Formats: sequence, C-alpha cells, structure tokens
Amino acid sequence: MAVLDTPWPPANIATEAYKRQRRTAWMLAGPALVLMVVILLVPVGIAAILSVTNYSLGNPGFDWVGFDNYEKLLTRSSYEKMFTATFTYVLTVVPISVGLGLGAALLINSLTRFRDLYKTIYFLPVMATLIAMAIAWEFMLHPTIGAVNQTLAKGCGTWVQSLWPWLARHCTEGMPLWLGDKRYAIWAVCFVGIWQGFGFNMVLYLAGLTSVHRELYHAAEIDGARSGWERFRLVTWPALGPTTVFVVTISSIRAFQVFDTIEAFYPIGAGPGKSAYVMMFAIYEKGVEQNLIGIGSAITMLFLGFVLMITMIQRWLVERKVHYG
Amino acid sequence: MAGVALRSITKDFGDTRVLRGISLDIAEGEFVSLVGPSGCGKSTLLRIIAGLEAQSSGSVVIGGEDVSGLRAADRNLSMVFQSYALYPHLTVGENIAVPLRMRRLSAAQRFPGLGRLMPGARGRNREIADAVSEAARTLEIDMLLDRKPAHLSGGQRQRVALGRALVRQPAAFLLDEPLSNLDAKLRVHTRAEIAELHRRLGATFVYVTHDQVEAMTMSNRIAVMMGGEILQCAPPDEVYDDPDDLRVAEFIGSPKINVFTVTSDADGRLSLMGHPLGIAVPQGTEGVRIGLRPEALYLADAGAPLVGRVAHLENLGSDIFAQVAVAGLNQRVVVRGTPSMRTKLHLDATVALSFDPASALIFDAEGKRVRDQRALASTPQREAV
Repeated sequence: MAVLDTPWPPANIATEAYKRQRRTAWMLAGPALVLMVVILLVPVGIAAILSVTNYSLGNPGFDWVGFDNYEKLLTRSSYEKMFTATFTYVLTVVPISVGLGLGAALLINSLTRFRDLYKTIYFLPVMATLIAMAIAWEFMLHPTIGAVNQTLAKGCGTWVQSLWPWLARHCTEGMPLWLGDKRYAIWAVCFVGIWQGFGFNMVLYLAGLTSVHRELYHAAEIDGARSGWERFRLVTWPALGPTTVFVVTISSIRAFQVFDTIEAFYPIGAGPGKSAYVMMFAIYEKGVEQNLIGIGSAITMLFLGFVLMITMIQRWLVERKVHYG
Repeated sequence: MAGVALRSITKDFGDTRVLRGISLDIAEGEFVSLVGPSGCGKSTLLRIIAGLEAQSSGSVVIGGEDVSGLRAADRNLSMVFQSYALYPHLTVGENIAVPLRMRRLSAAQRFPGLGRLMPGARGRNREIADAVSEAARTLEIDMLLDRKPAHLSGGQRQRVALGRALVRQPAAFLLDEPLSNLDAKLRVHTRAEIAELHRRLGATFVYVTHDQVEAMTMSNRIAVMMGGEILQCAPPDEVYDDPDDLRVAEFIGSPKINVFTVTSDADGRLSLMGHPLGIAVPQGTEGVRIGLRPEALYLADAGAPLVGRVAHLENLGSDIFAQVAVAGLNQRVVVRGTPSMRTKLHLDATVALSFDPASALIFDAEGKRVRDQRALASTPQREAV
C-alpha cells in the first residue's frame, strides 16, 4: 500500500519542475513587461500626475493644483468649442466613412472585372500622407481658384441653379469660403477625413465579406428572400457584425486622433472662431506650443478616457453580441 | 406536394458540358436519389431543380407547371444543404421560422421591433410560432429552440436544417448530401429517420449523395449518374441485381462487383480462364465481360473456374469478405463468406471459387448489359471434356 500512497510524481519533484517553469515564464515575459511598463504605463502615469499640476517645461518645480485643470476643461468656452469640434468630427466621420466603406465593399464584391483597379483607387487616399493630401484639398477648396468653387460656378445660370436654392444664393452672393467660413470649416475637415478614411474601412469590409458562406445566400433565396436588401439583412449584415465592430472602433479612435488636416489647414488657431479646435490640436497647442504641460496632460487623460471607453464597448460587443460562437 | 419532371436538361460551364440531356420523371411523393461519383453533375442538377443555377437548355416542370423561368424563391421548394447553411445569428427557432416569415409577413411586418405592431402581424406571428414548434416537435428539437447554431452538435444542426425545410409545405424537398458531415453512427441513424420522415410526410424528396449505401437504403428509385448522364434510374434492388451498365454495377454495391474478361467462341459460347461457363451471347459480341457480386461466388472443390490464395480478409462480424489472389488475374476476387466459413477462409488458404452462371451479369465491350444470353443445355464441366 505504501507504493500507492505515494503520489506520482513525488511532491518535491513536481514543485521543483513547477518552480523552474515559473522562473522561465517570468524570464521570457520579462523584457516585454519591462518595455510595456517603461514606454506605456509610466508615461501615462506621469501624464496623470502632471494633469494635476501647473508644470511647464524648464521650470524648476511645480505646484499641485488639484483638479483645477479638469475644471477649466469643463467650464471654459474654448474647451467647449474643443468638445463640439471633436464630437462633430467623430459623429460625422465615423458613420459616413463606415457606411461608404461598406457600400464600396459591397459594390466591389459584386463586380466580376476591374475589382483590383477599384480597390486600388479607393485605397489610394489611405496610403497617401494626409498632410500632403490636406494641402491638395486646400487648393481644391480655395475660394477663387479652387476646383470645387469653379465647378459650382459652372452651375450658375443653368437649370441646376433653379433646382438648388443654395447654389442660387451663392451665385449671387459669391461662392463660399470653405475653409475660412465658420459655418463650413469643420465640415470641410470632416469631408477630407471621410475621403481619406473610407478606403481603409472598405478593405476591412472586403476581407469580412470573403468569410460569408456562399451557401447562406442560396439558403436565403430558397427561404424566400427575394430582394437584395432582404438577403443583406438576413445574411450579409449579421455575418459582417464582427467586422463592423472592429471598423467602428478603429474609425472612432482614428477620428478622435485627427490632427494633421487641421494643422495643415489652420497652422494657427484651429479654424475660424476655433470651429475646428479638436482634442489632438488642443493637446498640441497647450502642451507643445504654449508649454502648459498641466492642462495639456489633462486633455490627454480625457482623450485616453474616451479611447478606453470605445475599446471597452468594442470588447463587450465582440464578446457578447456579434460572435455567434 | 407535387411531382418533378426534368426534360432534356443540359448545362455547360464554358466549353465543358456537365449535364448531357437529363430527363427524369419523379412522381408525387416519391423518394429519388441522385447518386454518382464526385463531379458527375448530380449537385448541379439538384441546383438546377432548385433554381439556384440556370440550365443551358431543357426545362424543369414542378407539379405540371414549367418553372424554368422562375427564380428559386418562387419555386416553392425546400432545400437542405450539405453545410446546413443555418443563419448563425439566429436561434434555432428563428432559423426554422425564416421561410415562413419571408413568405407570410410583409416587409413592414418583418421590420425589427416595430413590425410586431403592424396590423395583422400578431396573428401571423402566432401562426408561425405554432408551425415552428410543430416542426421542432416532429424532429425532437423543441428543447433547442433558444440556442444558436454554434452551440449545437452536427446532428442537431442537421435536424434544424431539416426543420427549416419542412416547416412550410413545399412542393418537394431537395437534399444535397445532408449526411456527409455526420459521423458514421449518426449517419446510419439519421438515414433511417429521413426515410421515415419521407413516409410520414408523403412528400416528394430528391436526394443527392455520393454514398450508394444511403441511396440504396432510403430511396424508392435511384438515378445513377456518371459523366453528366443518368445511366439507370430504377428501384434499388433492380439497380443492384439487374444493372444496365457496367459502370452502374461497379458503382452500386460494396464491396465492388468482381469483373472478369471472358472469351467467346464463334458461336458466342463464353469461357472464363479456359473454363466454359455454359452460357452464350449472340454471335459477334466482342470484348465480353461478366460481373459477379461477392455473394454470387461460393467455395467449391478443386476444378472450379477460379482457384487462388486468400490475400486479405475483412471480418465484419455478420459477413466475411475475402480477397482472393487468382493467378492470371490483375485484380483480386472478392468473395463473401459467412462466419461459419472461418475455418476455410483464413489468410494464405488456397480456395476454389465457383458460381452459378445464371447469376453472372454479362456486359459487352462498351459496358452495356447483354441481356440476350442463353444457357447451354449441358453442364460446363462435361462440355469441357
């Protein structure tokens, strides 16, 4: 019985092997952990600390100001403009660029020829440098010599004018100053963001579409789904659920991060009446240009909070809703 | 319920003709299997019946009405797919309800959320729920109605696919290799269930399979397809016992039929490896081959036409199949034995095999069956002397 009573492997050997394995595991994971802490967590921690101070680069010390910086963010009108511009941009660019990306992907997916050509064309703006493209758009949107206004002016005095009151008004009053007018500035920035971003979403959706089981479309047809819209509702859209969550998350984060268009259009002042004063620009302006590290860090923390929130929603959706596993 | 008729259906994919003028009449309530090796065009034919694929020429008639120009959704057919093709985001109950929702509810009534409030939607939704639970009870999946397909086993998914097919009363059921993703045991079980379901519903079933056992066990008639043609369409026993074509004889039956090349003399008398068989075919028939099922052969004394060594044994419990290597033959001869023959049928045993010439199926050089055979009066052995 003594033999049976001794567990195998004997306890001392088992713990020895277990300890060795644990040491190896820590050694292997160690470098990555150290890097993560040093280049990710520590800076975030420092930013969090600085956000409750009035520190400026070069100053020998700083004072603790508590939540003054955050209070400014929520009360001052320039930060109200920041939130308005940021959310206008995110809430415009995300739905439209996701919708256009899906539409373009569906259209390209239904083609039998020239697929790659269209894919390349729509993807070109994604590959191009946004700052260079923004400069190109600045020319396009130029009030007098820009292609946009010149094209619109061609409609003046024709039947187009009678159908389009807005154009008729501008034919008499003069064409809009797209980038200089408070009413249009943020929308021009949104337009460039959509133009630049939807090709990326299209590529993600095209990848998602390849995973839709073809037999499901046949089953839907047999089950009586006659129109393309019904088949889309029954098969395509649910199958693209995981892709959509990913695309929306990525687009939202990218939209929150918008900076280069505004920097190119309005190097100083973030648009007429600060109408395009988005968060990234505010961080840059406060933290870098004006050397107000405290308030810059506070905006950064807020920005981090938004991004984290979006990521959490994505995780929750992925785990709970769209994976039918 | 309705019959299905195919009139000289052809199908070309580019320059390749995959279906060469298929005509087939399937009576109302009949269970017909389309069976053949992969690439014979059976699935394409089923998809043409369903309307998922357009034929190059010919017509499909369902219940007396030419449906060639109708799209699949308007043909009133149900189909079970090889992959089951269940909608992954819908529960079992919702999956089964789809064909009814698509047909009985208007687009507004199907609208998410608000659709339920549309006039008439409530009554229709209740009808649909009743039909779904009825179908689920028939297939004994009523406790799975709230689950998603990903949480079901292969067999359960297969039942859900069947449920979605039978929830409405279609003109005919089309089944495309529905059992091929199930494990062997479940396949045998489901085979019997589908056959029973067919008897209970009395509906027309068109069943595509590459597995001749499925076709044999379930069907009223089997259509054996090869190279884009139906070689023979007949009840299972007829296809097995009385095949029209050597390819049919070879495809149906497991283990495969033994085929021997025989010689015929000027009068058409046949002999196998020098042993006269006592049967004759019309004069001038050349390249004659005979087919012998494993059960047509029996152990005999020395002097029988086939003598060889047992090279391999397969013991199935109820039967023993012995592969006998006969000198002068390229392929081994398979013979069926009963468990009581185990003493004689063992590896490396030398056995002599004989058969009743009447059980030999005779084929000509093209593989067509020669039915015009006559038995010679005297026994083969005596004639040899």
